[in-house]
Amino acid sequence: MPLQQPGTVQMANQKTHPPKKPLYVNIISKSLSGIIGIAAIAALIFAIYLFLTPGFIEVNEDAIIQFNHIHFGAGAILAGVLLVMVARGIWLFKNWARTVLLFGLIIFIIYNFVIIVFAISSSIFAGEAVVPLAAILQVIGRGLLYFLSYAIIPAGLIFALMKIDQYYEESSKQREFIDDAIRYILLGTALSCIIIVLLIFIFTMTEAWQSVAEIGLDTMLLGTIWRPGSIIGTDQAQFGLLPMIFGSILSTFGAILIGVPLSVGTAILLAEVAPRAVREAVRPAVELLAGIPSVVYGLFGMVVLAPLIRNIDVPRNTGFGLLNASVILAVMIIPTVTNIAEDAIRAVPREYKEGSLALGGTHWQTIVKVILPAARSGIIAAIILGIGRALGETMAMIMVIGNSIAMPNPLTNNPLTLFLNTARTLTGNIAVEINYAAGAHRSALFFTGVLLFLMIMVVNSSARFFMRSRKVDE
Amino acid sequence: MTVEVESRIAQAKTQNSLKRQKRLQTLGYILVWSCGILAVAFVLWIIGYVLLQGIPLINLEFLTTRPAGGVSGEGGMSTTIVTTLYLVILTILIATPLGVGAAVYLVEYAGDASRENKFVAFLIKAARSGVEILAGVPSIIFGLFGFALFVSYLKLGFSLLSASLSGAALVLPTIIRTSEEALLTVPRSYREGSLSLGATKWHTVFNVVLPSALPGIVTGIVLSVGRIIAETAIFWVTLGGSYQLPKSILNSGRSMALHVYMLASETRAFDKAMATASILIVTIILLNLTINIFSRKLTAKVTGKKS
Repeated sequence: MPLQQPGTVQMANQKTHPPKKPLYVNIISKSLSGIIGIAAIAALIFAIYLFLTPGFIEVNEDAIIQFNHIHFGAGAILAGVLLVMVARGIWLFKNWARTVLLFGLIIFIIYNFVIIVFAISSSIFAGEAVVPLAAILQVIGRGLLYFLSYAIIPAGLIFALMKIDQYYEESSKQREFIDDAIRYILLGTALSCIIIVLLIFIFTMTEAWQSVAEIGLDTMLLGTIWRPGSIIGTDQAQFGLLPMIFGSILSTFGAILIGVPLSVGTAILLAEVAPRAVREAVRPAVELLAGIPSVVYGLFGMVVLAPLIRNIDVPRNTGFGLLNASVILAVMIIPTVTNIAEDAIRAVPREYKEGSLALGGTHWQTIVKVILPAARSGIIAAIILGIGRALGETMAMIMVIGNSIAMPNPLTNNPLTLFLNTARTLTGNIAVEINYAAGAHRSALFFTGVLLFLMIMVVNSSARFFMRSRKVDE
Repeated sequence: MTVEVESRIAQAKTQNSLKRQKRLQTLGYILVWSCGILAVAFVLWIIGYVLLQGIPLINLEFLTTRPAGGVSGEGGMSTTIVTTLYLVILTILIATPLGVGAAVYLVEYAGDASRENKFVAFLIKAARSGVEILAGVPSIIFGLFGFALFVSYLKLGFSLLSASLSGAALVLPTIIRTSEEALLTVPRSYREGSLSLGATKWHTVFNVVLPSALPGIVTGIVLSVGRIIAETAIFWVTLGGSYQLPKSILNSGRSMALHVYMLASETRAFDKAMATASILIVTIILLNLTINIFSRKLTAKVTGKKS
């Protein structure tokens, strides 16, 4: 006969028998259940009252969904039914009811906390200057007291419920159901990104459609005049985006010209040439460049670079323009390009380098003739990602590029003075005018956004292609 | 050997001679070092200039008076600090459950699902490519999206809510990526041990895997906080520019970065703009330091366990 202690071996799908409940547990649970039951009855009575007196609820005319007394009544009935179920669950010591109750209490406390925080900071900061320290402490003290008065009972309940959780039971079928439900909820959150992408697509396309229909793709993509207000003499507003397309492309080109050699050189330094101490100092510095907000770059360009560029003696040189923008963009893309190029250089197998050195090549010969060609696809991917970053930059651009709506052209006979001219980028176009645009103008700005989105998606896909082809090579 | 071949060999010998190559190498090294030095110089120049110009202006009065508008940018920046805080907290509250949930699904549940069901496998592929696409979208497009959906269509207006929802969309890929990496570093033995003790999969994930992955997830959240503080374009079109303190999440406000932009473009108060910018930079440097210290402790923990 198998030796088994009675009552200690449980099979997974048997109903578990919780230990006998002490008196205080029974008191807490039954009274809690009773209170919730009374609240449920109150909700149902309130629902009946709402149905009988429609004037109780004011209809908010400009909300997108208008709630009236029927909606509120139905909501009250739903709340009542839910409360009845929870009450019964607590009475029968079901774990799901306990979880729902805990959740509700936590939300209640958080909600009150947020309201109190808003109220406290409003009274401290809303005046002309911050009130003196004594008043601040008084306000905070009063707010905390207020919060405590709302929170102490729920907090006590939460504490009690957590302490007696061993007396609550759930069947394994319920556990499996929750497991499956959570699996699908998490799938939903995983899909959130692609849903956002689709939403972006749908909303920007629908807003942009009006401009495509009214103004036409060819006018917008090839027209050289952008004048959303009516021109003197004619009533026609013009929406030619070509100057902005040129502005984006030229500033990105300048940024690549200045930034890529700098970044690739730094990447070679970090990966091959520098000793460890220098590496540990330079890499955080380059990462810091990535963290500087773009407005600070723009501010720097306005205050420091513009006077410097103004020193170049060319008529109509304001210091703002494509050169300023190119330098700022070059500095902004240094972290991106350096990081990925360094990874690419490090990913070259050691045998390549060791073989080259064994054959008598110097370190520099190895770098130039063996390592860099092997890392070529990764470096190209880095450059393309830098292009994507430069195309998408907005705030720094509108602060330093001058925002003129004419086609950029050289200021003198020297074609290089093209870069001393002011221009406007696609991103700047959107940012500067979106707040007050209306109708076809606004639709044209959304079209600019769609154009930008497509350009950057193309850039990013080609970068991904190059990064993947690097992996195939190895 | 013919004269041509001999001269060719002699030419090759001088071309590839060690002396020449060594000279080229020194030149190459100088080039590469100057690139690195130039990059670091830019960092120091930009940060140093802004800090030097801005920090003298920062005093308690500047931090605690509210901005008063006007051509010379009177007032301080008190409400912008509070608005930035509100914005950060609200955005993180929205983005973290979505992001961590997505990462948990993609790491824990996506493996076995692909064997079950073709439709679910397709959804998982769509989800992963969605994260990659979203990571590459420039911030002004998020601003446009927020403007079209939250400000106009849902009639939320320029408010903290529409700004936070757009900001959450912006940082979601960052949180998902870092959380995924964090979850992947949790050893399989943790999961297997918990499952063999009879816990359900969700219980394992919530009570065993997530706490172990918490440092990495927190790193991702701190990275997102830095991104939100530095972002301007997206909040320019969804938050509006009011310098009042928002009294509820449906009110407009102004974040610190937005304040820098508006001071620089609408007023002549470049000194105040520099001051606000220095506070921004100091905040971001502190956040970067926190991330570095945290991730160093994290790798020490991981390698410590392995050794």
